[in-house]
Amino acid sequence: MEDRSIIHLNVTDFAVAVERLQDTSLQRHPVIVAPQQAARALVYDMSEEAYGDGVRKGMRLDQARRYCRRARILTPRPRLYRRAMGALVAKVLPYTPLLEQGEEDGHLFMDVTGTHRLFGPAPDIAWRLRRQVLKELGLDPVWSLASNKLVSKVASRMVRPLGEYIVGVGEEAEFLAPLPLSLLPGLSAQELGLLRDFNLDRIGQLAQLKREQLAVPFQGRGEYLYAASRGQDRTPVIPGGTGGSQLSREHHFEGDTADPGELQGVLTALIQVIGRQLRQEGKVGQRIGVRLTYSDGRGAVRQATQAGGTDNDFLLRQLALTALSRAWQRRVRIRSCILVCDRLLPRSRQQTLFVLRSARELQQEKVMTAMDAVYARFGSGSIRLGTAC
Amino acid sequence: MNDKVQGHSCAAARGVVERKDGLCPVLIGTSGYSYTEWVDSGFYPRGTRAPQMLPLYADSFPIVELNYTWYQMIRAEAISRMIAKAPDSFLFAAKLTRTLTHERERDWRQELKRYREGIKPLQRQLAAILIQLPPDFEWTRNNRCYLAQLLDGLQGFPLAVEFRHVSWAKDSVFAELQRRQVTLVTVDGPSLPGLFPCLDVVTNPSFFFVRFHGRNCQGWQSGNMQKKFDYSYSAQELQQWNDRYLVSLRLQAEKGVVFFNNHVRAQAPANAVLLRELLWRE
Repeated sequence: MEDRSIIHLNVTDFAVAVERLQDTSLQRHPVIVAPQQAARALVYDMSEEAYGDGVRKGMRLDQARRYCRRARILTPRPRLYRRAMGALVAKVLPYTPLLEQGEEDGHLFMDVTGTHRLFGPAPDIAWRLRRQVLKELGLDPVWSLASNKLVSKVASRMVRPLGEYIVGVGEEAEFLAPLPLSLLPGLSAQELGLLRDFNLDRIGQLAQLKREQLAVPFQGRGEYLYAASRGQDRTPVIPGGTGGSQLSREHHFEGDTADPGELQGVLTALIQVIGRQLRQEGKVGQRIGVRLTYSDGRGAVRQATQAGGTDNDFLLRQLALTALSRAWQRRVRIRSCILVCDRLLPRSRQQTLFVLRSARELQQEKVMTAMDAVYARFGSGSIRLGTAC
Repeated sequence: MNDKVQGHSCAAARGVVERKDGLCPVLIGTSGYSYTEWVDSGFYPRGTRAPQMLPLYADSFPIVELNYTWYQMIRAEAISRMIAKAPDSFLFAAKLTRTLTHERERDWRQELKRYREGIKPLQRQLAAILIQLPPDFEWTRNNRCYLAQLLDGLQGFPLAVEFRHVSWAKDSVFAELQRRQVTLVTVDGPSLPGLFPCLDVVTNPSFFFVRFHGRNCQGWQSGNMQKKFDYSYSAQELQQWNDRYLVSLRLQAEKGVVFFNNHVRAQAPANAVLLRELLWRE
């Protein structure tokens, strides 16, 4: 199999970088982006200076203000960030269609394997892109190049907020070995704690353990830890489409909650909004992610996927509840949740040839059509999904 | 076969052109070695992966110019891993990082410190540090000051400076390089106005440094590396170049290094072999 060339572009503190483009006076101040009207607002993003003062994403705004008193506080403008992300994607697309983007967070993975005859060596593509993005958009991304997504992401973390890193093919394990385990993507706080209990703090130490040794304490996750610690990652770069590549909605609870019913109700309401938007835009979503923020500021993200995608509120709700059950693993109350629907695809109008939809699915589709008609006539809050116990 | 002859034939096989009739020895190589398209083009055997390229390259050539050090800051640990893959006698020329030549918006003194640290493991096998300056780096007071400070900061290393702008083609510049024992890079490139000319000026008798960029006039300004360096020298062109420049350079220095930068479709290694054979035949 051919060695892959994966470039990771990352505009650090994306929201702040975009805000500073809009208002250059912000360059001179630490900046915190957080919804100020919310009673217990959480930090959405912050500048490097604010980070240096101890401010972190998901931190309570009042606490962040105490840490960085000189910071300018801005209300998040997700639409603006989405537009900026779209502009960034537009710069990258001419180089490869294999482009995976995060939310409106300035992260992009590009698979440029096999493009050398057109554009030259991969480091040159990455360098040119960075230069082009800086010149034409005013954004200065970190870039890294490696043979897979995992290693390129770690490499970016090594050099942020500015710089570049090339990890040669075959050097993945040696590159990772001296780094702290906290730099390895995808490890939960619980897993990091467990590794600390085993007196492991470097990725190289983890890589010395065999599959069987990892399987006992980490069970199903052992395989991931085994591969990741050696810099192995075969996950493909999944094209996320252009423009609005994801839909998301956020909810802050009035008071922190541990009531599953309340949480499910909120997610159902958010799903309705996203489902309707999907149908309006003629798209289907293949993945639903739930991001929870606990009352102590820590977070958890988990996803559930549906091959082929769906725009059916009932199915989307099922996915959201599955993601919720995966994400909510601590006995700690929840402060806020974000629902993200991504990996969007255009909805196919063609009927499936062999797989007939069940009577239930047909019925649900009719209900959706009727609900959309009600929304159109009486507004978005006029009718809601509910469950019968 | 005795050891001496065997040693000579190994060196010869890897591309060292020995001293002859008052002409100094020349080491011929390419700018960069890790190109996937060199597998497609047949220089590397089918299925060669990136980690296998340097040992294979070192079977054919005695020296390489490291390009990737221009794209990213050189790092000691990565350099150490790379050196381990090449024979002890193999030499490297390392480009200075772009944050010290083309994109100087960061604190260049700090960057220089990092570069000096990063290159340490290479020191024993270092043929030269190549300071390639951008086309818009003209002969101005500020740029002269910067270059002087840069050369001061790199004192102790074998240095070669490649100018791209014609305004540096001055006797005063050559005299200053000579005073500092810094090599002026001889470039062969397309005939375009504003470009630094091809000269057989030797400012440092320890070594001369030649770069063959190819003569693709259209591609040079395209902004696309695949077009810029898409050129193949003919035997006749190389012979003429040897007669006009290389002989003169070899008479003035103790040794020389020559790199082919026309990497597209593995034209660089093919031309390097062609020049080597041409010099062997003489």
